[in-house]
Amino acid sequence: MSETRKGSEFADEAINHLDSLYRGALRLTRNPEQAQDLVQDTYVRALRYQHSFEAGTNMKAWLFAIMRNLFWDRFKNLHKDDVSLDDVGDFPLYDKLKDSAEIPEAEVLDKLAAGEVVRAIEQLPPLHREVVLLVDVEGFAYKDAAQVLGIPIGTVMSRLHRARQQLQKTLFDYAAESGIVRAVGEAREERSA
Amino acid sequence: MNCRDCVDKLEQYVDRELSDREMRDLKVHLADCPPCEDRYKLQVEFKRLIRTSCCKPENNAPEALRKKLREILF
Repeated sequence: MSETRKGSEFADEAINHLDSLYRGALRLTRNPEQAQDLVQDTYVRALRYQHSFEAGTNMKAWLFAIMRNLFWDRFKNLHKDDVSLDDVGDFPLYDKLKDSAEIPEAEVLDKLAAGEVVRAIEQLPPLHREVVLLVDVEGFAYKDAAQVLGIPIGTVMSRLHRARQQLQKTLFDYAAESGIVRAVGEAREERSA
Repeated sequence: MNCRDCVDKLEQYVDRELSDREMRDLKVHLADCPPCEDRYKLQVEFKRLIRTSCCKPENNAPEALRKKLREILF
């Protein structure tokens, strides 16, 4: 295959992952302008190092690894924000809703606005946030997430678990404070009356 | 499989990260255990909520960025 053709195939495949990379950058930086800069620099670096990409392997993971390295180079100071998350029970949302007079969990989830969920994700410490972005948002297998992040699979699993616990707790607290839990409970009572 | 084993492996089950044998064992347990099945459904719904919330069209790359990258790449 000619070098030009190879280059064009590389570019075609790379640009297919743009929305995924931008979503990731947006959640990591929490700033649209910084996200655009980060994504652009990721593609420039990818182009420069395209010879090191092995055709047929996971390009999305390769691009995310480049972006993640650039992000941490640029925002080294964020490491100090990275706190460990406490264990708050296996399934805080389930446990709490079960304690709230048998309120149907799915109805509470349905009422949570996307913006609130995104806010909860952005509140996670960055090292936990990036695991959620890779596995839950982008659908990476644990082994691919481990490769992107340069950590063992066991660490992917433990960070993911703590991150999900924290997200469920944050979202339950929001649902309780904003009256969603009460409203769903009352609607259920009215239906059964 | 008991409920404790199921709870311990539920996230990996939802993420499709267990062996075929473990996937089967857990599926059998869920079919027989309504509380674990409830936990499972909530985990699935929760994962879906995270994905759909982050993948709304307004989170897609801006057209100007796409254009700029096409100029760089092609």
